[in-house]
Amino acid sequence: MTPELRERARSLTLRYVVASTVILLASGFLGLVLRSSQAGYGRVGDNAWYAMMTAHGLGAFLGWAGFAVMGFAWWIFAELDIPLRRVGSALAGLTWWLMVVGVAGVLVTTLGMHFAGSWVFLYPLPFYSASQWSETATALFAASVLLVGLSIVTWCLAVLDTVIGPALHAVSPRILNRLGVALGFGYVWPKRYATNPEPVPYAVIPLTVIAIDMIIATLPLAALLVEMIVQAITPSVTVDPLLAKNILWWFGHPVVYLLLFPAAAIYYYLVPRLAGRELVAGNVIAIAWTIAVIANVLVWAHHVYIDYPQGSVQADINVAMQPTTFALVIPSALSLYSLGFTIYRSDFRWNAAGTALFLGLVSWLLAGLSGIVNATIAFDKVVHNTLWIVGHFHHMALLNIGLLIFGAIYAFLPDLTGKPLWSEALAKWHVWLTFLFGTLNSALWLVQGLEGAPRRFAVLPGRYEGLAKAAVPVVAVLGLAQVLFVVNMVQTLRGAGRVSVEERRARRPVAAAEAAFTLVALGFAALLGVVGFVVGRESVSKQTTTVIASAPTTAAAVKPGGPGDPVAGKTVFASAGCSACHTLAAAGATGMVGPNLDQRKPVYAVVIDRVTHGKRAMPSFAGQLSEEQIKDVAAFVSGAAGSR
Amino acid sequence: MNSTAILIAAAYGAVVIAGLVVAVLLAISTRGRRPTDPRRLAERERAWLFVVIAVLLALLFATIWFTPYGHGSTNGDVIVNVRAQQFAWTLRPSIVPAHKRIEFRLTSADVNHDFGIYDDRGHFVAQAQVMPGKAQILVHTFTRAGRYQILCLEFCGPGHALMQGSFEVTRS
Repeated sequence: MTPELRERARSLTLRYVVASTVILLASGFLGLVLRSSQAGYGRVGDNAWYAMMTAHGLGAFLGWAGFAVMGFAWWIFAELDIPLRRVGSALAGLTWWLMVVGVAGVLVTTLGMHFAGSWVFLYPLPFYSASQWSETATALFAASVLLVGLSIVTWCLAVLDTVIGPALHAVSPRILNRLGVALGFGYVWPKRYATNPEPVPYAVIPLTVIAIDMIIATLPLAALLVEMIVQAITPSVTVDPLLAKNILWWFGHPVVYLLLFPAAAIYYYLVPRLAGRELVAGNVIAIAWTIAVIANVLVWAHHVYIDYPQGSVQADINVAMQPTTFALVIPSALSLYSLGFTIYRSDFRWNAAGTALFLGLVSWLLAGLSGIVNATIAFDKVVHNTLWIVGHFHHMALLNIGLLIFGAIYAFLPDLTGKPLWSEALAKWHVWLTFLFGTLNSALWLVQGLEGAPRRFAVLPGRYEGLAKAAVPVVAVLGLAQVLFVVNMVQTLRGAGRVSVEERRARRPVAAAEAAFTLVALGFAALLGVVGFVVGRESVSKQTTTVIASAPTTAAAVKPGGPGDPVAGKTVFASAGCSACHTLAAAGATGMVGPNLDQRKPVYAVVIDRVTHGKRAMPSFAGQLSEEQIKDVAAFVSGAAGSR
Repeated sequence: MNSTAILIAAAYGAVVIAGLVVAVLLAISTRGRRPTDPRRLAERERAWLFVVIAVLLALLFATIWFTPYGHGSTNGDVIVNVRAQQFAWTLRPSIVPAHKRIEFRLTSADVNHDFGIYDDRGHFVAQAQVMPGKAQILVHTFTRAGRYQILCLEFCGPGHALMQGSFEVTRS
């Protein structure tokens, strides 16, 4: 490979690593706020909590973990002497921009414009905001996620463009044959998928698998996001919610493997290097990855095991997906076998990188095993939508993928910057603290989940409070450990490690240009954030004004006073679920979604009108409550509001 | 804790301990530098593949019968119509007998919800998703009389955590 091409790969990888680390810090901080608020320390408003959860999920999952392993793919290719070609190189640059702007957009629309539909934005929830965010916020959020989705597609195309190039030494010039070579078919059919002189490096196989699958997985989601943008402008355009749910998970499962498969490629490359021997793998690993490329797009419905509406084939799809999900265990099990036996009795280097990778593999095993629980319908019906799931995927993403990313940074940063790692000891502290406290963090969630604690609750039912509080110091240590990492990384980038003066002087201009470019780009993203925040604030305050202004108009039209029993009304207030949304001291209600009734002090006729006909997010209760009950609740509310 | 949850905790706890033992042994094996033949280990990977497939098939056959849908999961003795909406549950009737098959007919007026039932000790009992425009059925036989709590288990908007309800199970 020419020095220019290697330089291009180096600069691309470094740019992905720096940007994803910045996103890690932002989303990690949000995670800390979420967890402590849930435990009752520094409680944030409910909608703010869900908005942060939306930003934290997308930011940490795609903006950090996904983005980082996507970036390391370029360096793995360079180390394997597989250069990015012209188109691939351009797409790799475009991917970076799409991801950075997309993630910035997610931050703006959630933290600034209060979009809180969760990071899976389960249709049609984005359009039922209970007046907490605008349709504009929904449209801009969908557009931001669309940019992230497009960045995944351009990354896939860049990977495919690279692997069908001549560097894999495929004998056939045909593109499909070369794709087969990149998928490792040569290990099974050496004549048909011939290479000369060397077989394809194992690390190329999982990258090719995910590049094919993510294109298939992302395009339908892109269509759904476009639909959401259209619906925000033209409300009459809608989609079937069951179809939307399937499209979401058609993307939502493979995207997990956008993290895991490139991670597998990095393990395949780095573990043998650290063990000082070749990867212990037979031809059978190629078969496992062939299973993966097919099974990966046929497992989505294990996310909807509890959905089986009447008159749909969903139940049959779900049952069929338990065995296909089990099939996906095979590439993981074989990878762990290969990587484990590559380490077995080897001269493995237990430096920070080696330790991180080893503990990452341990986490892969443990998180994979809790994943098998989720994959089993009979078990999933108990843990579905509980904190068990949250424990499982943090175990997988933060510890398996996360420790791999940290290990790869410790291993590759000296190659990428030409400077030695600032502190090996600090790095080891970071790795061990992350492993121990990260595992404990997930373990607490797993236990809470088995106790039935629901996920995505801004405030948990009281019986789960003990472990929720216990988690706060654990998360705090986990957060502090990341400070060690950032200090080490910044010091290394600054060239604070031991290196000769001449060498440092020679490298300074390139490093400075690199840093300047990244800072300018991230500054641009932050600027977008501030602009969005201001715009969002304004649009929301305007909305609120409209609500306040319209209330008295209706009130004047209806004659006040009338019959109704306020005592019976209090029962109606409680049983009809009014307190879920409204604050009313007399009823002990503290809901924050709808207007605060103690402040608004609605007169009798307004209550009758709102309860009977509904307004904005408030549904009509006409079908649910009798006329008498509505009069009772109106008498209660109009009499009690503001009384205490 | 729910009995299935206890089973999961026991099984997962056991495999975690086994996994950690293997990890420690693997780490120790790198200290001695005793010779080994990586090629033989690579050949044995095929045997490992069959072990994995056998274990997965066993788990599949042991659990697939407990899938909560399919034949015999409908037609309860008592029907309860459940309507979900942001952020309230409406049940008709809201008092049901114990030891009878209760058929919950779930519908939603707006977004996706998840009907999660907890008993009076706070133990999880059962759940089923509720989707707008579709009807879904959950059949359950309660053996314990008392007041049961309903939590929404699918994120449904800013009032999600407040969307709670209850119903009574009586000694028939």
